[in-house]
Amino acid sequence: MSAVIDHQAQSSWLASLWHERRGWLISSGLLIVSLVVWKIHGAETIFPESWIESFPFAQKVDEFDAWMRPFVQPTTRAIAAGVVWFYELLVDFLTFTQWQVVFVILVLPAFAYGGLRLGLLGMVAVGSWLVLDFWDESMETLSLMSISILISIVIGVLLGIWASQSDRFEAIIKPILDTMQTLPAFVYLIPAFYLFGIGPPGAILATVIYALPPVVRLTNLGIRQVPAGIDEAATSFGATRAQSLIKVKIPLAMPSIKLGVNQTVMMALALVVLATFIGSPGLGDIVYQGLTRLNVGKALEGGLAIVLMAIILDRVTYAMGHSEHVSASQHDHVFRLFPQGLENVKPILYIEYGIDWIWRKIGALGNFVALIVTSAVCKVVALWNSDNADKLREIMLARSFLIASLVLIAVLMLLESYTDLYGKFPRDWEYSFRTPVNQYMDELVTDELFYSITQGIKEALWFGMINPLNTFFKGLPWWYTCLIFVAGAFLFSGRGLAIVALLGLLFIGATDLWLFGMITLSTVLVSVFICFVIGVPLGVLSAYSKTTDTIVKPILDTMQTMPVFVYLVPVVMLFQGGQVSAVIATVVYALPPIVRCTTLGIRELPEQINEVSSSFGASIAQTLIKVKIPMAIPAVMLGINQGIMMALAMEVVTPLIGGKGLGLIVFDGMNRASIGLSLQAGVGIVLLAIILDRMSQAWTKTQREAMGLN
Amino acid sequence: MLLRIKAILASAVLALGFAAVPSVEAAKRLTVPDPDWTGGVVTCRTIQYVLENELGYKVKTVAIPGGPGVWEGIRAGDLFYNCETWPSYNPSKEKYLSEYGGDGSLVHLGDSGIIGETAYWVPRYVVEGDASRGIPPSAPDLNAFTDLNKYKHMFKSLESGDRGNLIGCPVAAWLCEDQERLDRIGVDFYAQALGSETAHWAEMLAKYKRGEPFIAYAWAPHWIHAALDLVEVKLPENEAWADDVTFKYANPELVKEHPEVVAVIKKHRLTNEQQAGMIYEIDVKKRDVDDVVEEWMEANEAIWRKWLP
Repeated sequence: MSAVIDHQAQSSWLASLWHERRGWLISSGLLIVSLVVWKIHGAETIFPESWIESFPFAQKVDEFDAWMRPFVQPTTRAIAAGVVWFYELLVDFLTFTQWQVVFVILVLPAFAYGGLRLGLLGMVAVGSWLVLDFWDESMETLSLMSISILISIVIGVLLGIWASQSDRFEAIIKPILDTMQTLPAFVYLIPAFYLFGIGPPGAILATVIYALPPVVRLTNLGIRQVPAGIDEAATSFGATRAQSLIKVKIPLAMPSIKLGVNQTVMMALALVVLATFIGSPGLGDIVYQGLTRLNVGKALEGGLAIVLMAIILDRVTYAMGHSEHVSASQHDHVFRLFPQGLENVKPILYIEYGIDWIWRKIGALGNFVALIVTSAVCKVVALWNSDNADKLREIMLARSFLIASLVLIAVLMLLESYTDLYGKFPRDWEYSFRTPVNQYMDELVTDELFYSITQGIKEALWFGMINPLNTFFKGLPWWYTCLIFVAGAFLFSGRGLAIVALLGLLFIGATDLWLFGMITLSTVLVSVFICFVIGVPLGVLSAYSKTTDTIVKPILDTMQTMPVFVYLVPVVMLFQGGQVSAVIATVVYALPPIVRCTTLGIRELPEQINEVSSSFGASIAQTLIKVKIPMAIPAVMLGINQGIMMALAMEVVTPLIGGKGLGLIVFDGMNRASIGLSLQAGVGIVLLAIILDRMSQAWTKTQREAMGLN
Repeated sequence: MLLRIKAILASAVLALGFAAVPSVEAAKRLTVPDPDWTGGVVTCRTIQYVLENELGYKVKTVAIPGGPGVWEGIRAGDLFYNCETWPSYNPSKEKYLSEYGGDGSLVHLGDSGIIGETAYWVPRYVVEGDASRGIPPSAPDLNAFTDLNKYKHMFKSLESGDRGNLIGCPVAAWLCEDQERLDRIGVDFYAQALGSETAHWAEMLAKYKRGEPFIAYAWAPHWIHAALDLVEVKLPENEAWADDVTFKYANPELVKEHPEVVAVIKKHRLTNEQQAGMIYEIDVKKRDVDDVVEEWMEANEAIWRKWLP
């Protein structure tokens, strides 16, 4: 009798263990099986030679490329000529006009949309290009970016509207957008040289391809999210489908579209350095020169100018999307320049009052000028029609900031044409920090303590993670790896993804890139794991402590916008080139989203959670570990998902410092002028990205559902 | 509001743009690539000096990383000529130059005079020590390549394991076959490819500054020899690299259009010593490229007078 009870108790214990820890049990079981398979297999896996021979992908692509070029070239050249004409116009204007005038033109939009604070930030950013003596280069980059962004927005919004109206088009364009974002630009750089020519047009093409997807996605999403009821109401009042779209849906989707524009701007700026590879001038060239001459300080200066450009464009486009313009007269809250907590320090308070006072006075003056202009214009209009004059007066007074700005610009330009008031930017105001940076770099390289620390990190990473995982992935039989991926894709998502995973992995194998693919996989896994270990605690800390957050946030901003090329040389000098350096550079690049998402996930939890758990007697630490972190898992997973994508994007950069994955083949193809070779490795990266992305997204979705979110 | 700002700014831009674009004689304007290594820059600037000062051309340089991009740019006619091409590092030459069996879409314009010498090098302090830095000679008997096995423990790295580590040719497409050569000679080293020239020199520079032993692939003339004191480790006769006879090539259409320019390019020659002297001024003394080239051209008028058509 008692034996039966025992048995029952035991089986229910097992059942509950199975129920609660199913994920852990399956993964550890899988790991053990895989280790056994690996041990039995015992050598590097070999993809069947005959399959590789019967799939001459690179060769066919190269043949097609050579055949296609002469047909396409006249068209692409014509497009390029138009783009170049426009680009040169813009650059000539920005560089031939006196810097004082351009300075004002560039800074005014920041004041217009973001008020005093953003305006001052704009002055710092634009001023930094003058101070660092990168004025012409900055104007070149700015022109390049403006044109790319403009083209991206026009095409992107149109495509997004089309996608929102047609389910079939949406289904077609989604995978194309994924590919555009993940296919390394180095794949199409060489044909771009030939088709679009050297310099700006090729760079603009590459930038548009990379920066287009967010605006298409968010336009589509924004329009689709307009509630069906509103659409029905519009049509019931007799609006046609087109009218409803243009007059109702698109205006309602504007916030989403503006967010898309903002993201497109950020993506475009990520390609500044890449533009240099196509021979276009600008800040990227400064970074590249610094890089090739091992002048870390110079590369850092160029990088800083790019970071400031990214930050100011980000903030301005964000402000455009989020607030109505802040004109001087509406500016009535207390102005704060410095972080909170410093409001009790007297001198700072006076500085803030002073700036605020000047700003108000300028604002009053601006309003006065605008009033005069408006009155004058309205007087003239009133000669014909007094009704229109009243309307115009209303419209113009609401835009006093714009009118005052235009008057200011006009006056400055007139002064430029008729006087010699302006001089060059004074040499004494220029400042360069490359020499101290280079000296510091030298000291760091030879510093013994620091060297022993970097060596320790390096050895731990190599022996503890990178080397074992490489050997493991390379040693698993290819069919076994395929099986695991297909099963995982099927369990997490479904049949569709399973088929994609199978075909994707077979493609990588059949193009003879299996081992490179496995190295890519292990590099990405190791990097994301390290990001997780560093990023989650940092994110939690930032969520709890305001001080940490204030320190961490600008660092993360810089990490995300600093061109990766800037820190390649320091990483090599401190850690030596090789796969360890590749992992370290990837971690630097992929860390920010994980920290951000963790912080956001914990902050966004409802306040009641604290109260409920403390009423049950839980300490802060207990609440955090037992309640908050588990509840923030979906947010963390989103961060990890983004981290994986960014780590895969780094795959094409790390070969420059000794990375050994698929990206190496992309470069190899580029150096051999074989688009086929580059393309097959590039497609391999895209396929891995799609498989990993969809699997982690599906997993996050099941987690969210299990928690009852959405 | 946004639309209006844009409209007004755009019209202002247009108006000013037209006013500002300078008028240039199109027939005398050339666009050429600016190499991304000092030696190449020096060679190109000497040609450029003659074209600009003696023949009245205006040469626009495009900063562009060396490699297939330059070949494609010249083939498409966006760029005119390349003034110093290293044959070993160019799979493109077999593709486009008929001299090497290619399709003839580019024309060969003779040697540049620079003879590249490729070899493996160690810092002098490895063999002889450096008293001023307190480094004892760590491999005093290292005379030839085959002596390396004796010292392989000294050169090992994480990725090479028990073998020695050779900082090899960085770019796979250069077809240097470091590992094959090591295996043929029977030297138990692992050839590490760092993927880019930048990483290659950065690695050497950092190790040199720390006074560590290393052996690395490098070629001359190159600024690295001006910055670091390196000695060659002699390869066995039959395994040594052939000399790199660097050459010039150009776009066929533009060659027909500008016979004067082509005449200068064909006659132009620069020796290793001449180039190395200028590299030293630029990379070690950190002087401006244009200043150095101008100074040299002024001092050596007899040499470049011969390049004139």
